Amino acid sequence: MTRYLSLYGYFLIQRFKILMEYRLNFFIGSASTAILQAASLATIWVVMRQIPSLNGWNFYEVILIYGLLTMGESITHMFADNLWTIGWNYIRSGDFDRFLVRPIDPLFHLLADRFCHDGIGNFVTGALLIGVSMYSLHVALTPLRAIYILVAVISGGIIFIALNLITATSAFWLTESIPVTQVVFNMNEFAKYPLNIYHNAIRILLTWLIPYGFVSFYPASYLLGRDAGPVVWLSPVVATVFILIAYRVWLFGLRHYSGTGS
Amino acid sequence: MIQSLRRNVSIYSAIASTAAKARLAYNMWVWADFFATIISMFIFVYFWRAVYAGETTLSGLTLAQTINYILLARLLAPLVETRTIYFFGYMIRQGQIAVELTRPLDMQLRVVVETFAELATFLVQRLPLFLLAWLIFGLQLPSNPAVWIAFFISLILGQAVLFLFDWMFACLAFYVTETWGLSVVRIGVGSFFSGALVPLVMMPGWLQNIAAAMPFAQAMSVPVSFLSGITSLADAPRLWTIQIIWLAALLILSRVIFSITVRKVTVQGG
Amino acid sequence: MSVIEVRELTKVFKIPKKEIGLTGAIKALFMPKYEQKTAVDRVNFQIDEGEVVGYIGVNGAGKSTTIKMLTGILVPTSGHARVLGRDPHKERVANAREIGVVFGQRTQLWWDLAFIESLNLVARIYQVPETRYKKLLDQFAEMLELKELFHVPIRNMSLGQKMRAELAATLIHEPRVVYLDEPTIGLDLIVKERIREFIKEQNQTKSTTVVLTTHDLGDIEELCKRVIIIDAGRLIYDGPIETIKQQFGKYREITFETIHSSERVTLPSGAETTHVEPRRLTVRFDRTLTTASQVAAALMNQIEVKDFSLSEPDLASIIKQIYNGALNREAA
Repeated sequence: MTRYLSLYGYFLIQRFKILMEYRLNFFIGSASTAILQAASLATIWVVMRQIPSLNGWNFYEVILIYGLLTMGESITHMFADNLWTIGWNYIRSGDFDRFLVRPIDPLFHLLADRFCHDGIGNFVTGALLIGVSMYSLHVALTPLRAIYILVAVISGGIIFIALNLITATSAFWLTESIPVTQVVFNMNEFAKYPLNIYHNAIRILLTWLIPYGFVSFYPASYLLGRDAGPVVWLSPVVATVFILIAYRVWLFGLRHYSGTGS
Repeated sequence: MIQSLRRNVSIYSAIASTAAKARLAYNMWVWADFFATIISMFIFVYFWRAVYAGETTLSGLTLAQTINYILLARLLAPLVETRTIYFFGYMIRQGQIAVELTRPLDMQLRVVVETFAELATFLVQRLPLFLLAWLIFGLQLPSNPAVWIAFFISLILGQAVLFLFDWMFACLAFYVTETWGLSVVRIGVGSFFSGALVPLVMMPGWLQNIAAAMPFAQAMSVPVSFLSGITSLADAPRLWTIQIIWLAALLILSRVIFSITVRKVTVQGG
Repeated sequence: MSVIEVRELTKVFKIPKKEIGLTGAIKALFMPKYEQKTAVDRVNFQIDEGEVVGYIGVNGAGKSTTIKMLTGILVPTSGHARVLGRDPHKERVANAREIGVVFGQRTQLWWDLAFIESLNLVARIYQVPETRYKKLLDQFAEMLELKELFHVPIRNMSLGQKMRAELAATLIHEPRVVYLDEPTIGLDLIVKERIREFIKEQNQTKSTTVVLTTHDLGDIEELCKRVIIIDAGRLIYDGPIETIKQQFGKYREITFETIHSSERVTLPSGAETTHVEPRRLTVRFDRTLTTASQVAAALMNQIEVKDFSLSEPDLASIIKQIYNGALNREAA
């Protein structure tokens, strides 16, 4: 474990050396995702300035949901972006074989191979949104809330990674997995808004099957003192269960790859 | 003269059909796009229903009007994405630009033919989605053929405007080399100010002014407003005139900027 | 001591059959049909510590599938492979520490990183002790002339520079077994020579076992005492290079330059003309049936010879014969 951590740190340092070589691209990449968020936020603002609340959630409360989702997403964007391109950049080219002849875990190697700076923009945006929202709503940052946010954001990131890992595994069969990942990943957009605006079926889907609700809506409900039941404590549990399932699926895909090697 | 015209038409139609085939070849991508669009329609429809929970009209639009507009905007959303920037990036990275410039075809014309062929295939491909939008969310389409004609004319003009703007914007790729970030910026700004996310009339005045000063609305908000019944046919001549002015201005500007950029790049030997 | 042991090693791939048309595509979706393709077919061999073995065959013969099973990337369908006593797939990580692999044209180094940074990273992955790493770095730098390349990113390197860098990265953790896939392809003679010297040196000083797959017979003649030939998944030859030379190299060629042109000459049995040009004549003969001097004498009796030269068979033409089924005919 400590070996992997120090190895990851070393990978990270090397990655930043490359990024600093292309400083302009680094800046554009980090800023570009923030601009995309700005467009989406501006939409919410344009709409919400006309109405008092969205099914009982005012503008700043919606922003809290949005900020939590953005932070969770930024974690997979920064640390697991290679899951998107595993088919194109590694399996198709045969470079995945390189990971299999090295004495470290191939999944670790895949993820460590490229830290993606584009996620930094989202991370900062998300943190700012949470801050602005809590400040405007006079929700004090008590130590308990701080720990709760930390756990929720990490759990949220893990939920994102787990879902991307499950869909990325399809690359072992299809070579290209981006379309599959895209469909499931896009469902996170549901979780930009309070889940109670949707039909019950959609709410259940986003709670238990594709649990993006645990990234944003449930933690936000807790922080705003809304009564959402015991689910507000479940984010870390759901994250753990899903990442374990995802890892099993990944191992299954890896076994298939060793059988066919294509 | 006629001979050379015919030759040109056949060359460009060959280009158009290969571009269409290339798009259909990505079967999995088509399915993914299909599902992703359905998902995004669900999100938008529920969102707007919740928005209208306590109101009958917002900025003069009823819930039915807004949902109709938004469904169409979702279905046509990829029309405000861009392929020109990727294409420029590809040419720069592979050094393909030199080859392209020596071909006996006008490069801009060639790319515009490809882009429009892709557009047409894309619209045909999405027909089943229109059907689904009608079945699930009750999408309403006009029965008056004149409205459809107005829609298609403004769509083609608007897409041409957007293409020329992208041509100009993509010249930046020669200076920055990283095209992914550029296209993300372009799509982010473009989808907001084109009215693909929210009807432009709902924006406060100052934002509407900014949107009007940008070309994006010409490619999305203007045609979709015809089709969703927000704009009446009486406005058509005025809107078309505006589109044609945009078109003429950008046609000249994009070509000037492109040739300056190319000259600069070739002089530097990049 | 045997380092690699392969017994009845077999790999069968299931390849989905493509159906034509839309109905075919739908059928394939619900009831996919598969074709079986045997890439490696009951192959047996053993390689001892410190051997340098040429593993050769045409494209698609099953070379890389074998190597992938030996490196733990693929699981055999049946039979087994042992490397240093381990199952390379089940004990993948332990196996990976002891082996080094060069995958042909692909680089294992990071495209945008300076070469030395890439090397540092590789050394960390393999946990090479700091002092040992420094020492090896100096050695390799000298042998492969890497000093001036240390600060160059891989993307800016020429093919020859890339391969030298690649070899250094592959051997920096001092693997006991090394698999080299086409290490000299597309390189000029000087670089080829340097790389062969380096491999030879590593093999001699560290008893590194080397499995070399290549189309370059120069590599094999210079480095290997033994070759294994595989064709259509089957092992068709395993033995010393000398034996093939003797077995298949029984033909010699003599080229005569003559004063006048002549088409028709009488030759001793076992010899035949293979090439006729004006004032130039090539004769091939079987060494077991006649001798060079008999052929030469017979010819000089008939026509006036200005000059002649005798050529040894090269491995390339021998291998070509083997692929063409000479071995099977011999056995039958």
